Parts: sequence; structure tokens; C-alpha cells
Amino acid sequence: MAKRDIAIVGYGETKVELRSGRSSYDLGGEVFEQILNSTGVAKSEIDGICVSETMSETSNPFWPVYMAEMLGLAPTWTQVNGLGGASTIAGISRAASAIRDGQCNTVLVLASDAQSSYPPTEQGAQRWEFQYPTGLRGPVGVFGLLSQRYRLQYGLKDEALAKLAVTQRNHALMNPNACAKLKTPITEQDYLKSKYVSEPLRMLDSVMVCDGANGVLVTSTENAKRLGLKKAVYPTGYGEITNFNGDKALSDITETGFSVAGPKALKQAGLTPKDIQLFTPYDDFLIAILIQLEQIGFCGRGEGSDFILRTDMTYKGTLPLNTSGGQISAGQPGLAGGGLNLVEAVRQLFGEAGERQVADVKNAMATGIGVIPYARNWGVSNVMILES
Amino acid sequence: MSEAKKIPRPLPRPDIYMKTRPFWEAAKQHKLMLQFCKDTNQYQWFPRPVSIYSGKRNLEWREASGKGTLYTWTNTLVPWPGHEDRVPYICALVDLEEEVRILVNLVNCEASKLQGGLPVRLSWERLSEEFNVPVFEPA
Repeated sequence: MAKRDIAIVGYGETKVELRSGRSSYDLGGEVFEQILNSTGVAKSEIDGICVSETMSETSNPFWPVYMAEMLGLAPTWTQVNGLGGASTIAGISRAASAIRDGQCNTVLVLASDAQSSYPPTEQGAQRWEFQYPTGLRGPVGVFGLLSQRYRLQYGLKDEALAKLAVTQRNHALMNPNACAKLKTPITEQDYLKSKYVSEPLRMLDSVMVCDGANGVLVTSTENAKRLGLKKAVYPTGYGEITNFNGDKALSDITETGFSVAGPKALKQAGLTPKDIQLFTPYDDFLIAILIQLEQIGFCGRGEGSDFILRTDMTYKGTLPLNTSGGQISAGQPGLAGGGLNLVEAVRQLFGEAGERQVADVKNAMATGIGVIPYARNWGVSNVMILES
Repeated sequence: MSEAKKIPRPLPRPDIYMKTRPFWEAAKQHKLMLQFCKDTNQYQWFPRPVSIYSGKRNLEWREASGKGTLYTWTNTLVPWPGHEDRVPYICALVDLEEEVRILVNLVNCEASKLQGGLPVRLSWERLSEEFNVPVFEPA
């Protein structure tokens, strides 16, 4: 049932750095060169470009065209995705559609951002009137509200979050691209003692905003053969929803778009959660991982804590989790953060993850979360399944 | 000793994304106004260009009762810029009797003693001569 007509044939990733002083263009260029070098594909073969909106360059309304100019590309299909951390896997899905429609053959899906070096773009809308006056601390405040509500409805075991924190940190210690500042071991006690920022949210629940870039090269399976490419993974399932419950004024904020996007992606791939061999979820906050496990169907509602406590999520375990450390322990390269865990999934399926390689991994599930809306959870949820 | 440059607490900026002046004018009189969709007889919050229920613009401003219950909250210990003097402060989602959810500060209470579903009532905080913002306190 699942189509294997589209392939991801290469990937690239910069180191994640705090206040690198480099631009999104420079970071993106580094990823581009890596992809050309690792695949051997000629630059002239790339006739599509799909970039993610950034915090650092988005005040430029022509950002994707500038990027094409910087890279010396003349694409016949150009796309920008303003879906926050959901932009990269959304980009792969849109690139697949464009290739199937004959708009282009080979697409560079690129995310780069220098959010820790340059001031972020203002989001405006209702925020100046109905959010900023309260002093809600942005995403941290919103996830504080979400965590508290989850605790009221289901109860939340702090030791489960501590286990996630330690698992991802141990993975980051094996990742040469992880942010240097985060490459120190932590214990579950360190998590539990970490100071509250916006109760019940702790410092170690959350990402540190950095700079960095990542990307993949997408083409048709047929074209990959023509180009003589040896490595490929296939996006066999995809689900996405924006503004979930957006036509309701009172909804359960612990219920998210993953309850739609997860089952859709799994159905398309013909898989169940039990079949998933590597889980690389978007992780801006630890509780986002727990909620995704529940809503995608790895366990039932309210069972996330117990599922985490009984499951080995290390790279040697039964459900390996974010084996490059995730954004929380590798650092969040601004809005390029949505590509960080996806690129790790591709790297693992290529068998190139070095000392953290998951043995015999044949499939992975990557996810994206984007945008902080008013008084709900998040704006975009998406799920992609990759198979080798 | 030089004083660190302080960012003042941000004031609302009305009438930019929507004509919200009626809300802020009523706030001066301690009235909380919500948009009401006359096609579906439902309230909505925050102000939008259309009804989120019908997509139509058959909307009017109606005054809310000011009664609600506490849906969730977060006790802010590291402030958003411009709110340094207020730490710690509580941000909360309150479900109003009119069946909308509003993001507000919760005042006159201790974070450690809050419970889900706590009945709360409307109060007002004066930010400037021009602006009162709605806050809530235990009823």
C-alpha cells in the first residue's frame, strides 16, 4: 500500500552552536555542500528548493529566493514553509507532491536559523493586546500551562520526565554535532533539582535556543537510480494538521493534532506503533514527547509516564528516542530545530550514526510541532514515517 | 553605579490587527466585552475578523458576567521581558461562564494553594490612564 516512489537520498547538518555569529545563509551553505559531497549529485541536478521560515531572516519576505541566489540554484519549484518546527517534514511531503506533479525532479529541503545570534521576528497579531500584558513567558509559559493541566487530568510522574532528560542527554554525549555547552552528563537527580522557570516547568524540561542548519535531498526513486545513488530512505507515511480544534472556544488542551496526524501517517505506511523501530519526535519540551507517545498511540491517554518508565528508550532499547540527543540535549537551532531529529532518523537508516547506531533499524517515525497559539497547545502537528 | 536599562511593562497596542477599541473603552468602565456570533449564538475570545464557528462577520460585542473557573495556571519565576518587577506572578487560563477561555493574570492568591476548577471572578488592573486589563481572583 505504501508508496516508495519518492526517496531521501542525502542529508547534511552543521554543528549546533550557541551565538555562532553566523548567518542562516552561511549555515545553509554548509549543509548544501555536505549534501553535494556525500551524494556526488551535481549542483545542476537540483531543480527544486524548499526552505523553512526562520526567526533570524523572516523579516525578509523574499527569503527563499535569496537563498536560491546565495546557493547559485535556478529552481523550477520554490517553496517556503512557515510551520515552525513542523516545516522540514512538511517540506519533504510538499517536495514529494511537486516531484510527482512534474514540477521538479530533485529538491533541496533546507532549514537554517541563527536565532541565538540575531533578534527574532515579531509575530504580532493578538499578542500585543492579549498575551504580552500578562507576562506569559512565551513557549515556556504555554508549556507550563499545558503541563499543569495534564497533571490535573492524568497525573504526571516527574521520574518519567527525568528519564527522558537523561536518555536524550546520554545520546547527545555521543553526537559530535551537539552544542558544546550541553555536552555534560546529567542524572535524574539533576533534572529533579533543576530550577523552576514557569511552574511546573523546570529549566531542564526545555530547549536552549542556538544556531544551526540541516537538510535533506529528495528525488524520485527512479531518478535516484538514474543518478546512481546508493543510499535511500522512503517517506512512506505522512499526516499533518494545523490549528487542531481551532473552531472550538473550549477544548481539552491535552488533546493535540497528533491524534489526527499520527494515525494518518501510520495508516498510509501500513504500520502500527508497535512496528516503529526508532522514534525521533519534535522535542521543544519533555512533556511534548510524553503527549506524542499517547496521542500517536504508543500507549493510552494518561499512560505516558508509565510507558516511559517501563520502556528502554536508549539507542540499544526497544523504542530508541532521539538518538542525537534531541533538541533538548543537542540544542535547538532556532526554527531549523524541526529538521534536527529528522536528519538523525535518515542518518540512522543510512547506518551512519557511529557509536550511537541503532542495530538493524529499518524504519523511523519523525514528528514536527510548530507555532504557539493563544490558550491552546501548539499550532501544527505532523508525523512522517521513513522506511529503508 | 549605573542603573541597568529597564524595559517597561508593555502596554496593549489596540486597533492594529483588529478594531479592538470597543474592548479597551469598555475596560475603562470595568466591563469585559466578548465577541458574540449572532448566527450561532456563541461567544468567542480573542477578537477575530470572523466568527470561528460560521466564518461570517455577523458579530457584536457583549458584556461578560465576569464569572469563571480556573482551567490551568503557571507560576512564573523567570519573567517575560518588561515584567521583572512582578515576579513571581501567575498566568492562568480561565473558562468563563460564556464558554470561552481567556489568558489572564490570577491575583490575590497563592500559587501553591490553587486547584483546578476553582471559582474565580473578574477584577481589573490599571496599567495606565488609558488601559485597564482584566485579571481574575478567587471568588
